[in-house]
Amino acid sequence: MPLINFAAREINYKIVYYGCGLCGKTTNLQYIHRKINPDARGKLVSIATEEERTLYFDFLPLTLGTVKGMQTRFHLYTVPGQSYYNASRKLVLQGVDGVIFVADSQITRLDENVESYLNLWDNLLSQGDDLSKLGFVIQMNKRDLTEVFSVEDLNELLNHTDSPVTESSAVTGQGVFETLKVVCKQVIAKTG
Amino acid sequence: MARRKGLVINDRQLDRCDDLLQKLKEVSGSSFLALISTSGQPITTASDEYHPETLSLASLAASSFAATQQLAKILDENEFTLLFHEGKALNLHVSQVTDQVLLIVTFGRETQVGKVRLYTQRAIEVLRQIFDGPEDENTPAMDAGFEAAAGTAMDDLFKDM
Ligand SMILES: Nc1nc2c(ncn2[C@@H]2O[C@H](COP(=O)(O)OP(=O)(O)O)[C@@H](O)[C@H]2O)c(=O)[nH]1
Ligand SMILES: [Mg+2]
Repeated sequence: MPLINFAAREINYKIVYYGCGLCGKTTNLQYIHRKINPDARGKLVSIATEEERTLYFDFLPLTLGTVKGMQTRFHLYTVPGQSYYNASRKLVLQGVDGVIFVADSQITRLDENVESYLNLWDNLLSQGDDLSKLGFVIQMNKRDLTEVFSVEDLNELLNHTDSPVTESSAVTGQGVFETLKVVCKQVIAKTG
Repeated sequence: MARRKGLVINDRQLDRCDDLLQKLKEVSGSSFLALISTSGQPITTASDEYHPETLSLASLAASSFAATQQLAKILDENEFTLLFHEGKALNLHVSQVTDQVLLIVTFGRETQVGKVRLYTQRAIEVLRQIFDGPEDENTPAMDAGFEAAAGTAMDDLFKDM
């Protein structure tokens, strides 16, 4: 549910990176923060525990500039992946417009991916939102590693909605902006 | 609770909010006020000077508030409609206006908390009418070319680097 402020000529969308612990959500945001034109971004805010794992969320506001007279912004959030932080995840999902599900492609991480994927749909359904209005993309991350699932297999396992899929390596940045663009275009298309 | 309808604000609503916030700022002696959405996005502010971190502030205040509500639920208490932080120089007061709107008020230690609460409560009643009132027919629609123009802007900004 974007915030459209016709009076101030502003429109804000909320995008959430979702996925199991250590799949690469924070790395996506850090890469975007590092590489994007500094005029187009605000501060990267992280609420982390002592072990540097995301406790609550990371937050990065981006501005697309003025589009047809409207100041257009995307607010990017990540959620904490560990299963015991579900309360925090639900809070971050409030009012979400688009979700990037970051899948860890490593074969050893299958259970965590599936658990996180099911948990995402549980949480979305319990919000009672109209999910046909939600942008959704699956980012298959860590494609640079060797012991990984094929894209076809992961797609079979994690994509019951037949959503767009991207491949990435968030540490090198490959596919990071492409993924963001896919979901941002979806949410804008669904606002009209 | 969270409807996928979004929050749409028109000129009239924003003017009324700005007036009210300005008044609240004067009578309560507060230094910075902001209306934000429960999803963490700023709607409008009243402040002596531009606050460069309004976006972070909105995001953090909305999540703290949401966490407070969850705490209330766990404790079987429905009435945590207020979040209050007391600092050395500054106090922060976050309260619920509607399902989708929160009010942030900051004020110095020299201002009495009771006074701020009282004025804030009155302001919230008026704000509720602004947001919960019947939908205004004057609310404009999005420009038909917005999607295409935004797409071009994104191709520009989100180039894989
Ligand atoms: N090899 C590889 N490592 C990655 C990739 N993305 C993230 N990582 C690493 O995975 C670890 C966890 O990443 P992080 O972004 O903190 O995960 P989060 O819990 O989802 O936020 C870090 O050590 C990252 O450097 C990737 O695409 N390839
Ligand atoms: Mg993280």
